[in-house]
Amino acid sequence: MRAVVVGAGFAGSLVAKVLGDNGFRVLVLEAGAEPNEDAVSRFRTALVKSPLKPYRRTAAAPSSDYLINTGPYAYSSPYLRMNGGTGTAWTGITPRMRPDDFHAADVGRGRNWPWGYDVLEPYYRAAEWEIGIAADADEQRQHLPVADGYRYPMHALPRTYLDHAVASVVDGALVDGHELLVVGTPQARNGIPVPGYRLDGQRCAGFASCVPICPENAKYTPHRTQKQWSATVELRTRCVVNRVHADESGRVTKVSYQRYEDDTSGRHTRHSEEADVVVLAAHAIENAKLLLMSRLANSSDQVGRNLMDHPALLTWALMPQAVGPFRGPGSTTGIEAFRGGPDRARRAPFRIEIGNWGWGWAAGSPDSDTAEFVAAGLRGQALREAVGDRVSRQFALQFEIEQEADPENRVTLAADLDPLGNPRPSIHYGLSDYVKDGLLAAKRASDGIFELLGADDHTSYKPDEERYFEHDGEPLRYWGAGHSGGTHVMGTSPRDSVVDQWQRCWDHPNLYAVGCGSMPSLGTSNPSLTMAALALRTAEHLVSRAR
Amino acid sequence: MDAFVELSAELTGFSAEELTSTGLVEQYRALADGASEAEIIQLWYTGVWRGVIPTERAYAEGLAWKAIGVSPPGSAAPGFGSWEQRPRRSAR
Repeated sequence: MRAVVVGAGFAGSLVAKVLGDNGFRVLVLEAGAEPNEDAVSRFRTALVKSPLKPYRRTAAAPSSDYLINTGPYAYSSPYLRMNGGTGTAWTGITPRMRPDDFHAADVGRGRNWPWGYDVLEPYYRAAEWEIGIAADADEQRQHLPVADGYRYPMHALPRTYLDHAVASVVDGALVDGHELLVVGTPQARNGIPVPGYRLDGQRCAGFASCVPICPENAKYTPHRTQKQWSATVELRTRCVVNRVHADESGRVTKVSYQRYEDDTSGRHTRHSEEADVVVLAAHAIENAKLLLMSRLANSSDQVGRNLMDHPALLTWALMPQAVGPFRGPGSTTGIEAFRGGPDRARRAPFRIEIGNWGWGWAAGSPDSDTAEFVAAGLRGQALREAVGDRVSRQFALQFEIEQEADPENRVTLAADLDPLGNPRPSIHYGLSDYVKDGLLAAKRASDGIFELLGADDHTSYKPDEERYFEHDGEPLRYWGAGHSGGTHVMGTSPRDSVVDQWQRCWDHPNLYAVGCGSMPSLGTSNPSLTMAALALRTAEHLVSRAR
Repeated sequence: MDAFVELSAELTGFSAEELTSTGLVEQYRALADGASEAEIIQLWYTGVWRGVIPTERAYAEGLAWKAIGVSPPGSAAPGFGSWEQRPRRSAR
């Protein structure tokens, strides 16, 4: 069997590995270039250390900054077209989805999955071992069913000093009728292995820069999976697939792609490759773009629709005492109490991350604090003490609000072309009242938690800031979480979904679209682990079909 | 003590010895000729000179981080689990 996988990111690298291990000849076509070797250095000298900043970009395969926003709200989640994909820059936080997340439509919001948590649970375990996740099963059982006797491949990472400080106050307390409990967050970074698991790379040594770069490779990236590819897997970078071809019966026959050498121009040569099976794994937005360009898989008219993200709310405050921010991974624990239950019928549920990196994301600390104190006239010892006191007490809460699948939130093809002559993705994006009510409830939960902690709340959202809005008279703001999903949504019928339960396009028996784009709901979980579990399930299905 | 180091120490609250140990005095002296107080402080505290971070060292030696008592993200590996310990306030 000859398989072509489009995209060498999280899902594509996993699918290619399983197929290669099972006798497939696999060609992986990656639009981006190989990663640059000076990424750490670029990170250090970048003025704004945003997720894509350290990485090589090419004119021929632009990353998310070539999106065109046309809707009422800006879609601001980044993705990276480079070998390894956004999985190079990701946070490495890997919670599972919860059982009720698979049945969002049962409470009248969004869509249901074709099956429930129980079907995916074995693949969650497989993905956790494949990626290498540090977590404690008993701790996770406090809020999630985890199979009896199961062990994560690594022990839970140590909590931060901040985590302990928060937990010692809030555990057992009530906020908005929810009992709070600080729970360790599963992490895709190296800690202490359990018997039977061999570490790949160094143990996390606390560089505190996981997004966008882990200098010691303690964080999982798809490059780790690529190192394990069998000799039957071939990777070609700088190859932008711009069309998938099908015959009259709907069977996919080949892909066309544009190959470029130069990072700065659209100069390219044209090629094609025949395949028995084609797996699109190019990112939710890029998969939809490619299907739309190819005029395939869209008898349901759902390709590109149901675009989701986690609109994130950030709140920030000062603890009464120094907590030592900017140490360790970005978030090591969370509060899971607001992720489900009857509330989700009336407002979007949310997950709360306790943020270890001060006000770095929220407010640009410590540079912003320094500038503020200097502008106020502080100099010398007074300045040094003010910065030390302020920043040492900083922490943030990061709320990931679920966004329901809405067909009006969608990717289409813009008239504008990129340097290769391919359409730029056009994004029409909005936030429903359900999401806004969730953001507002998150803000109220933040108020309650800060009050319990005796924290000095410095959160402010101003009308001149990006992504500011008001809801029920309250100022709010949202940030993009980088969790694009839904654009080739999975379902039980070809009438209203793009892929079936195996992520196979209903309209084409040998065309698969894998990744977060298949997810009918994102729940409140960072989605990469669920994407990995789905990829492994699809790969197993492909292998069994070939036998 | 030379005038640039003296002025820098007075503005930043870090001693001449602390400033010298960054290895950045000569580079900053050359950059900061004619600069305002606020620019000199920003350079020492954040490594930013007129919208640019000139070198990795400028970032890694930022005094704002030393005032907090941590290394800037991506510049040092304090060790597995170090984040669990009681924070060390200023390096003073």
